[in-house]
Amino acid sequence: MTVANDISLPDRVQSANKTSTFPAKSVLLGFLTSAIVVFCVFPFLLVLAISFGRKVDGAAWVWDFTLENYQRFFVGVLWPQEVTFLYLQQLYYSFYFAVIASLLAVVTALPFTLALTRLSRRAQAIWLVFILSSLSLSEVFIVMGWDILLSNNSGLPKLFKETGLTAWLKEVGWFQTLRDWGLANPRNVKFKTSDFATILTMSYLVWPYAVILLYPALSRLDPSLGEAARTMGASRWTVTRTVTLPSIRLPLMGTTLLLFVFLLGTYVSITVFAAPNKHTTAVAIYANIRGANLNAPFGATQAIILLISASVCLYLGHLLNRRAEGR
Amino acid sequence: MHGLELKGVSKSFGNTRAVEPTDLKFAKGELTALLGPSGCGKTTLLRMIAGLEDPSVGSILLEGQNITALPAHKRKFGMVFQNFALFPHYSVRENVAYSLTIGGVDKRTALDEANNLLETVQLGGFGDRRIGELSGGQRQRVAIARALAQEPEVFLLDEPMSALDAKLREEMQVELRLLQQKLGITTIVVTHDQREAMTMADQIVVMSNGRVEQIAKPQVIYHQPANAFVADFIGKANFFDGVCKDGGVLVGENFLQTASNFRTESPVRIAIRPERAFIDFDPGANRVAAKVMFVRDLGPMREYHLQSDIGPIIVEHAAGETNPELRNGDATTVRLPPDALQVFPRYEAA
Repeated sequence: MTVANDISLPDRVQSANKTSTFPAKSVLLGFLTSAIVVFCVFPFLLVLAISFGRKVDGAAWVWDFTLENYQRFFVGVLWPQEVTFLYLQQLYYSFYFAVIASLLAVVTALPFTLALTRLSRRAQAIWLVFILSSLSLSEVFIVMGWDILLSNNSGLPKLFKETGLTAWLKEVGWFQTLRDWGLANPRNVKFKTSDFATILTMSYLVWPYAVILLYPALSRLDPSLGEAARTMGASRWTVTRTVTLPSIRLPLMGTTLLLFVFLLGTYVSITVFAAPNKHTTAVAIYANIRGANLNAPFGATQAIILLISASVCLYLGHLLNRRAEGR
Repeated sequence: MHGLELKGVSKSFGNTRAVEPTDLKFAKGELTALLGPSGCGKTTLLRMIAGLEDPSVGSILLEGQNITALPAHKRKFGMVFQNFALFPHYSVRENVAYSLTIGGVDKRTALDEANNLLETVQLGGFGDRRIGELSGGQRQRVAIARALAQEPEVFLLDEPMSALDAKLREEMQVELRLLQQKLGITTIVVTHDQREAMTMADQIVVMSNGRVEQIAKPQVIYHQPANAFVADFIGKANFFDGVCKDGGVLVGENFLQTASNFRTESPVRIAIRPERAFIDFDPGANRVAAKVMFVRDLGPMREYHLQSDIGPIIVEHAAGETNPELRNGDATTVRLPPDALQVFPRYEAA
């Protein structure tokens, strides 16, 4: 009797399955690992390596291990003769626009999504399909639309002037306030370039994401929690503050952080709507790598610092959430 | 003086009438049970009382004051929800203290008061726990303590026992009743469990299809049901359809003497409770031949399922009584005492 004959039928089937699935699984796992390494880890390592490279005047750059780029980012190119914070300022504006725009998107998407979850299933489905379809629009397309809408000659400013709204604003004295905020010139309102237009467009860009990310948590929110609070004397605002928001704290924080990280890399909206002195690190990275500067090592350094900053923010958010949960 | 009064209150959702125009009075300090099958409108009625739904028509009065337009947070009626609706992000103590803290009471005082209430519902020492760490019965006690923290004038409970197992439910029914009697709060309990209503209530309101079928004390509801629906919904009953004739009712070929006052030839439905029918050899009116189909021994009582000339009959004999020694297939006679037969008008489908 051979060894093979000693194996019972189910054992043989199992061993056959093992031999047929084991290599396939291993190949698939190996392929996926390689893909992640090649397409995600390797480019990151490459950027990290380039960030220590050196720009050659009048030429491209060479591999090196210098901390000059990092030094330049924090104290400027003229150090030690002079300290400038241009690149830190760009990083500050990256955070400034991303924080405000992500908060604005979440704050406006929250009541909308809450109202959406209270509609009929059919109405919810129609709204969700509409919102999902709006995600197919590219940033360039959206910014172009807002560019036309806010342009001085054909958009809202023209509408303000033609309808007499500008004259009315001047009459009631609010026009000067708009001028103080940089949203008007002596003749008419103007939205380009302004922080207002930049933040509005950036919020608009991520608003559908905010709705999609908040929807699952809000649709699972038990309406009886709010009703119970109301029977105990809580007004609608108190219910929101003490019941609704704490119940969705985690998804709310997660959504805000995700949108914030996404907006840190916004490029088109910033170049079109933000004043040049308020351009962000993302714009500077492009200028260094592909634009006029052609300083890939410094662009890579800015990219690495932006990435580290975003990671620190995510970690701080995580700590904050842990602390709130502990309380 | 009535504590709470509903005057012609009704509720419609689109073309669907959830609650027909209803007049109800809830005596101060009494416990009333709104009893009925699922979808009969009892929870909608409770939500209108709580201010969570606006009545389509009618008014709600508390101590003579019209509170119909008063929003829920200004009525401050304590309410226990079917799923308890405890706040998972607060501890047990913070849940109980919620109404006090949002009402402006100093936090330390509110938490002390919450501790006292937790003692009242026998949960002293559970204050620091999270809601997820409690059993169903403990959650219900927390929900009760939380609703009572604001010292409500009216205490509302929406199917408070439905999430509990049978044994715990029985215990909590007694506990809740004792607590309500101790505090003397006007209480309204929604339930579909007639046993729960009978155990706890001073007054039962039986509802069906958005309509109030009967309002009475538990014993009256059981022994003098207003109609066939109430007789069927509360406890067990045997039903026979017949026609009034010569001061009695003709059921098939059998004439049964009853105390009914219906006109001759009126179609009627007769009901008799299983414990009011007898398998015995006493002479008397309304004896019906029957055959034993099934005998069920339930411990405290024995149930005989019989097939008679007028239809199936269930007879209950309490343990300790002289029970007839009958087996499946035995022939016997059932006595239906005339004073135990309840006669209701029968409405034939058109």
